[in-house]
Amino acid sequence: MDNLLQGAAHGLMAVIKPIADDEWILGHRGSEWLALAPDLEGDMALSSISQDNLGHAQFYYELLHSLGLPSADEQVYLRTAAEWTNAHLLEVPNHDWAGTIALRYLYQVFDDIRHQGLLASPYQPLTDGVRKIRREAQYHLQHFQTGFEMLAIGTDESRQRLIEGVNQVWEMLGDLFSWGPAEAFLPDLGLQGVSEKVVKTAWMDRIEAQFRHLGLPEPAAIPQPALNGRLGQHSEALADLLDEMTEVRRIGLSAPW
Amino acid sequence: MEDTGRMAAFMARIESGEKIEATDWMPEEYRNLLIKQIHMHGISEIMGAYPEKEWVPKAPTIRRKLALNAKVQDEIGHGQMLLRLAEDLSRPYGRGREELMDDVLDGRIKFHNVFHMEAPTWADAGVIGFLVDGGAIITQAMLLDSSYAPYARMLKRIVAEESFHMQHGEAVVLALAEGNQAQREMLQGAINRWWAPMMFFFGPTQMGKSAEAMMGYRIRTKTNEELRQKFINRYVPRIRALGMTIPDAELRLDPATQEWHYSQPDWELYNAMVRNNTGPRSQARLALRRQAHVDQRWVREAMNAAAQRIANQGSERQSAM
Amino acid sequence: MHESQTAEFPVFEVFVQKESLGFHINVGSLRAASPELALQLAREIFFRRETAYNVWVVPQDCIFSSPHDEAHLPVEGMDKRYRLPGGYDNATHWKRFKAKAMTIEEVAKDIRS
Repeated sequence: MDNLLQGAAHGLMAVIKPIADDEWILGHRGSEWLALAPDLEGDMALSSISQDNLGHAQFYYELLHSLGLPSADEQVYLRTAAEWTNAHLLEVPNHDWAGTIALRYLYQVFDDIRHQGLLASPYQPLTDGVRKIRREAQYHLQHFQTGFEMLAIGTDESRQRLIEGVNQVWEMLGDLFSWGPAEAFLPDLGLQGVSEKVVKTAWMDRIEAQFRHLGLPEPAAIPQPALNGRLGQHSEALADLLDEMTEVRRIGLSAPW
Repeated sequence: MEDTGRMAAFMARIESGEKIEATDWMPEEYRNLLIKQIHMHGISEIMGAYPEKEWVPKAPTIRRKLALNAKVQDEIGHGQMLLRLAEDLSRPYGRGREELMDDVLDGRIKFHNVFHMEAPTWADAGVIGFLVDGGAIITQAMLLDSSYAPYARMLKRIVAEESFHMQHGEAVVLALAEGNQAQREMLQGAINRWWAPMMFFFGPTQMGKSAEAMMGYRIRTKTNEELRQKFINRYVPRIRALGMTIPDAELRLDPATQEWHYSQPDWELYNAMVRNNTGPRSQARLALRRQAHVDQRWVREAMNAAAQRIANQGSERQSAM
Repeated sequence: MHESQTAEFPVFEVFVQKESLGFHINVGSLRAASPELALQLAREIFFRRETAYNVWVVPQDCIFSSPHDEAHLPVEGMDKRYRLPGGYDNATHWKRFKAKAMTIEEVAKDIRS
């Protein structure tokens, strides 16, 4: 943090926090699929991806800790819902398999674009980590893209369910691209490449091309967010998730576990 | 006549310590015993994912959440490897993954008693790793010497992965033992719940017909009682060292024979539980497995249909060239 | 594909298992007219000086190979110590309780003896 101005550290934290929270909540919900996937081999793949997501979040929380926030564990276990900045669509209870694949594919394309933009940061601890994370995230993208394409061309049922899944997820897309107050810091941090407008445009281009390729209904415009998770606005689902997640930890906040 | 000769040659191979391969001739009884054993072993690994899986969302630290996730994933992985072996053995009967998985839902194959039980606290998640995995490691270490080569090969991989499970289970238990009053009470409660099921886990001292037959074919090489004694001998001193008690007033080491005396678990209760899926959590966990396997068959069908479509497109493109 | 007369034999990849508890490892490939011949020839081409427990031959066009990229291959990503036995320090804690730590090697040895 030595070479970071106080202001820059503040801005960086505001940028890193929602990324960390996205990955953690994704990993938490993904873990709920354990032993419930349609096949054993696919179950293991999804579990590895959940572990990767949690591991990515852990890296970001440790980075935030180095910038002055409490320890990674405290950030995860001791925050109230209003202090979380994950996107709304990640916190809702798991959809059926098709909806989950739809959500994951749409998210991974977003994550891929966000990673590319983050690599422009002059802050090396961040770019070093993002480079490592990308090694895993490229596989996640590949995996969910394959799943998405196969459900789209599989059977009438799978195609119908996938379209329904996309529609369910689409309604909640509003805040995914938002940075809330962090947007203002992006130019000074050299991170214009992850601004809401840039990411949204690049994402929509890729998604529209894919939907065309698979003959899926043309996607609607991205809706305005009803709740903006980036501003700490969340559904009951996040409060419930956090309640369950911290149930054991609350028995002894500072006890060894 | 030819069969008698083949049988004698087969038994001679087994007795000289040779390993049998999937493609070798084998007596029907050997094949059926293997299927029974490996199928139940594989299904138990999969059903064993559920009691611990319940605790992944509630794991109290980042590290524990990652480790428990990885451990449950390994259990599914062991189930996968073992079912693949059982599927290969079942090929002459025209049965594959779909059927072998259906079997547990239709009550045609049983799973270990311990996975019918409740795991009501975080300490149960730890004690499962500590004692249930401890017991499984003892059984699986024996199976490393199995006469069926594909089983022995897979067990090498499985036992290597169990090493992490053992460390994870111990770490959770040790942290609770070093923790506050509530944590220590939680740990004692879990030990109280799991001790008797673990005594049942290894099976009756007087082994059943198929267990005896498996000894004859060297599919397994130790008796139930030998394994149970190894378990008690290993875990009793450690549980006591943690300042915990074992819920068995009869438990004592006979200094003359170096054998442990212990109270008999309720054989009838646990047998009925395994046979009829009437344990406290049997039906709930079977419902989860049904949700995964039956309610999502449409996903597997769709993936196959998609793969077929892609292959057809490929060959159309090739023949157009 | 068009059926046509050709003098070119198909390619088989050769996998050898050195001992009964080992796994099959790819050692190279050869051309042969049939799988049976491929098995016979593998013996001459790869095992003139060594023994083997089992040999597989697999038509090369049955093999699907991963590209050398990060999306397809396990790579060193984030910290995975949580899933390695070496990532735990239980021995120190057992010592505090005056008990001995266990290792899987020691358990396996004890059971198999």
